[in-house]
Amino acid sequence: MKNTYIFLLLLVINATAVSAENEMRWSVTGFGTFGLAGTDTDEVGFFRSTTQAQDLTDSWGITTDSLLGLQLDVDINSELHATVQWVARDHVGDFFEQNLDWAFLRWNISETSNIRAGRLGADLFLLSDYRNVGYAYPWMRPPHEFYSSLALSHFDGFDLNHKIYFDNDALSIKVFAGYSFNQIPSAFPESVDLESPLVGGSIKFESGSWTTRTGYAYLRLVTDVPNERLVNALNDPLVNQGLPNINQVIPHLSLKDTDVHYYSLGSAYDDGTWIAQAELSYIDAERNFFPDSVNAYLSVGKRISSVTLYSLLGISRSFQKDVYIPTPIYPSPQLQQLHYSVNRAINKNGIDEKSASLGLRWDFHPNFALKTQWSHYWIGANGSQFWQDPTAKEQSRQVNVWSFGIDFIF
Amino acid sequence: MSGLLVSTLFFSMMKQIGILLLLFSYSLSADIAVIGHLESGLSAMTQKEVKEIFMGRLKSLPNGSFALPVDQYELRARFYFALTERPIEQINAYWARIMFSGKASPPMKLPHSEAIIKVVTENKGAIGYVDQKNVDESRVKVLLLLKAADEI
Repeated sequence: MKNTYIFLLLLVINATAVSAENEMRWSVTGFGTFGLAGTDTDEVGFFRSTTQAQDLTDSWGITTDSLLGLQLDVDINSELHATVQWVARDHVGDFFEQNLDWAFLRWNISETSNIRAGRLGADLFLLSDYRNVGYAYPWMRPPHEFYSSLALSHFDGFDLNHKIYFDNDALSIKVFAGYSFNQIPSAFPESVDLESPLVGGSIKFESGSWTTRTGYAYLRLVTDVPNERLVNALNDPLVNQGLPNINQVIPHLSLKDTDVHYYSLGSAYDDGTWIAQAELSYIDAERNFFPDSVNAYLSVGKRISSVTLYSLLGISRSFQKDVYIPTPIYPSPQLQQLHYSVNRAINKNGIDEKSASLGLRWDFHPNFALKTQWSHYWIGANGSQFWQDPTAKEQSRQVNVWSFGIDFIF
Repeated sequence: MSGLLVSTLFFSMMKQIGILLLLFSYSLSADIAVIGHLESGLSAMTQKEVKEIFMGRLKSLPNGSFALPVDQYELRARFYFALTERPIEQINAYWARIMFSGKASPPMKLPHSEAIIKVVTENKGAIGYVDQKNVDESRVKVLLLLKAADEI
């Protein structure tokens, strides 16, 4: 499956050569962001996305928001179109493979229907498949509570799109299926390879200034976290003497065979002057590594000439049941350390985060936008799942994040 | 009698002022002509139809042929403002959402009127726009006139 994209690239190159004698249109376009950001703490680190290797602290940095995307579009003929998009950004794992977001062929079956096959953007929420294009939205980055944990940015497969037009309105229906391979950092020494077949669909209704979208996606994780060493330790009879029946918690240290359901509902309003957007999602996975969560945000903004002022509120909460972890029956630093590690790995994956942001976007040129944003985060005691939290002090905290950036398209 | 003279004078004066005003307003806003192929079979298009095609929501012309909208760099901002009442940054952001999510491509962009007219004369489905003063009705068909402000 990992080689699918190479095959697709070859297919695209081939198709280009074959149709060279017909009138073929191609274009190279791109987008990017140069961003500088910093926080007011060095105890926890901020991530724009859970797939990033480098977190952001009070020492400031440019890797959080800076990225550069290139897109090649080829109109092979009036029915067939090829698109490849690659985005240079901070991402763990295979830098080339993970950052290849799209490589697909689109076949326009009719005026209102198309099929796409290849590597596709995972269209789970309103912003999912253009979340890297800062120029396309007012905020510095997609709302943190909603988008930072969404590791899934693309999958290899196909989707079917159908659009129904009414007088002034349009209804879009999409179904998709495929296989995803995403790499994320983890508490284990290595990054985690998440592989999963997935299916889903969405319905979008556009009417005047309003866009409303609802979607569902299901995926099943078929790979596991690199937990072998921990599992071996917990199966050790000596360890089970000191920590009675600790081997019974082993099933909780796994991600394999987890069923994940994403339910989402969102709405966006834009009348040219006022903009508003809100989304709500429920993620159902029922694993201690991947607790169920409710996520939501609401943003309201106003354009005054070429300046957009906006506010943004976000919330994310998880629901999990603690698993009992046996305590050492005799004092031993090794057993205490093991108890601590296992308890942390299983019971400390909670999400409890709220934020309020104020920001400004200035369209000083038709292809450039200058942005600045201030965000204030409230993180609960067992709620720092979206953050780098090495000390795991289990205390609630507040963090300010300041950002400046310039978005462009070309 | 003198009353009639005064009122006649008054009306002729008003008429001249009216003509002056018309001339004045003409110099403030020029028309943008939406043009198509001479043999497209279309006599005119509505603003809504043109908007749907240039915003990528409609992929064929009212005559059924595959639509090939072409943009002009020089006039682009004024054209879209006249068509949609939205500044060009918002149009660019709209297309950024669509093209960078791989759904569709925006109209091809050409540098000047002559390039637009050339494409339109060569393709029956082509639809472009030029400053009205650059229209040569022996080569292209005017489908719609849009009042566009000089400065936006």
